[in-house]
Amino acid sequence: MTESAVLEVADLHKRFPVRKGVFGRVTGHVHAVDGVSFAIGRGETLGLVGESGCGKTTVGRTALRLLKPTSGTIRLGGSDITALGNKALRPFRRRMQIIFQDPFSSLDPRMAARDIVGELLGVHGLAKGAEREERVASLFERVGLRRDQLGNYPHEFSGGQRQRLGIARALSVQPELIVCDEPVSALDVSIQAQVINLLLDLQAEFRLSYLFIAHDLAVVEHISDRVAVMYLGRIVEFADKRSLFADPQHPYTESLLAAVPVPDPTRARPTRRLQGDVPSPVDQPSGCHFHTRCPYATHRCRSEEPVLKDVADGHQVACHLR
Amino acid sequence: MRAAALQERRPVLDVAHLTTEFYTPDGIGRAVDDVSFGVRAGETLGIVGESGCGKSVTALSILGLVPSPPGRVVAGSALLGDRDLVRMPDRELADVRGNEIAMVFQEPMTSLNPVLTIGYQVGEALRRHEGLSRRAARRRAAEMLDLVRIPEPGRRIHEYPHQLSGGMRQRAMIAMALACRPKVLIADEPTTALDVTIQAQVLDLIRDLQAELGTAVILITHDLGVIAETAQRVIVMYAGRTVEEADVGQLFAAPMHPYTRGLLASVPQLDSGLARLAEIPGVVPALAAMPSGCAFAPRCPNADDRCRAEAPSFETHAAGHRVACWHPGEAAA
Repeated sequence: MTESAVLEVADLHKRFPVRKGVFGRVTGHVHAVDGVSFAIGRGETLGLVGESGCGKTTVGRTALRLLKPTSGTIRLGGSDITALGNKALRPFRRRMQIIFQDPFSSLDPRMAARDIVGELLGVHGLAKGAEREERVASLFERVGLRRDQLGNYPHEFSGGQRQRLGIARALSVQPELIVCDEPVSALDVSIQAQVINLLLDLQAEFRLSYLFIAHDLAVVEHISDRVAVMYLGRIVEFADKRSLFADPQHPYTESLLAAVPVPDPTRARPTRRLQGDVPSPVDQPSGCHFHTRCPYATHRCRSEEPVLKDVADGHQVACHLR
Repeated sequence: MRAAALQERRPVLDVAHLTTEFYTPDGIGRAVDDVSFGVRAGETLGIVGESGCGKSVTALSILGLVPSPPGRVVAGSALLGDRDLVRMPDRELADVRGNEIAMVFQEPMTSLNPVLTIGYQVGEALRRHEGLSRRAARRRAAEMLDLVRIPEPGRRIHEYPHQLSGGMRQRAMIAMALACRPKVLIADEPTTALDVTIQAQVLDLIRDLQAELGTAVILITHDLGVIAETAQRVIVMYAGRTVEEADVGQLFAAPMHPYTRGLLASVPQLDSGLARLAEIPGVVPALAAMPSGCAFAPRCPNADDRCRAEAPSFETHAAGHRVACWHPGEAAA
């Protein structure tokens, strides 16, 4: 497992300073990522779910070294990239790419589609001139766009097509790992299905590894092999997708699953709902972060932080009650 | 039993043949094309469809809020009791809006005024429609916030929108909409911007308040899961037209229109176990470039020459189940 891991993240922490006043005095820290560890194997998809503000996007960006971690280690294909400078990172950048949520703001509106998709080929010195044009055109076809759209600008594409452009751009440099940050949540369901199917096909074809970040549990269940559930910067449950969805162990996972609306009017509505909002990450609750909303919280949960432990084969949960 | 009792009552809001056009650089486009539906007291009507299918413009047309120009309601009526909202003069409509019929929007951050307190905004409708004093309106606003389960309402009425979380803002919007106890509440994607756990809270809240106040709710959403959990009747819209209308049970058990079938098949479900999702190929057509015939034909697996040439009319196929399709209920070819 560790031998073949494409990405390995160990005890990752990321803190953002909170500044106030004209002099930007640091008045506190947002502990966005609080000791997260995971590994993704070749051709594997790890789903990362949680509500907004739980730190899932920060995990993705820090793992790609788009943000500098506060502490912890990040290994890409066995090489430690945690402390590398920009120049030393260059060759590693080619091997890891990202697809963003919003296909409207993540593409430069003044660049033609061929340049958006081909830009990285130039940056990494992989192809130029006629060869680049040919590679871009074949990428276009691979993601389901037409060659005659090469000269179009982002506004001439629909939302789903723009997401295809983002995918083609990420694929252009033949990465091993793609971080998909909510890639389908801005799309209509019929288009969402097209993009998910495309991601699955590409994974099978190129043995890509995905870190798939989403808040939609049904989408995550569909695409992932294993799933990590995050709450306020920590992974609270980690399991094979089948075992996570069939037998959720953490009360938070349980309530997340219960909150998903099911397109079946004959199914009875769950009676108990999770109450309250996610607490502010600036002053995090003591002990287990979830205790303020947990229906089962005890005195111990309020004072002592639970650690991830195995409850079944490969199923880990951070809860005192399991 | 309850459903049967609902059937007999007259709709509170009765929309008939509503048609709204927009001037676009490429010509005139029909955003809403001959849409009819009714909603009864205590009932929830779901309107589903993907972006650009005319759901929101339908709501705005009923409320007289279509920006004009470029938009214009060109035909149809929306009867609230005996009065037609479509033909009502603006001043009279302003007395109805926020009073007898109210709306909740998708984005609470952009639809709340950032420089006015929550209490002021929730109380505004009460001052406008019920002539309450500032103080009385503020007191009622606090009661409304309490009703929508915002903790510490006495403190929250003095706060500004940015001080509330997303879920709380949406609840404040609902409090605003319900302040004058409207007969009809139009909720346009009220939970789309929220996390699932908060979405569940807000939907429960709308349902509870509806049961308590007997409000007729029109819930506009693209999420079939939300529809299944909240609506009793559903209309499915595509490219400005109603393509199917049915009771919620019937729609999910026996969808007749290929678009509805496609939508249902393309939703990933928990423990569905399928590797690939069913796709609907292509995209929703642009307003000014509607295909001739059935608007869904270019994406439809069953389309034939008649579908491409002639638009199907909206026909009843079973009790309470209407569909606009030349091949209703046929399996994909």
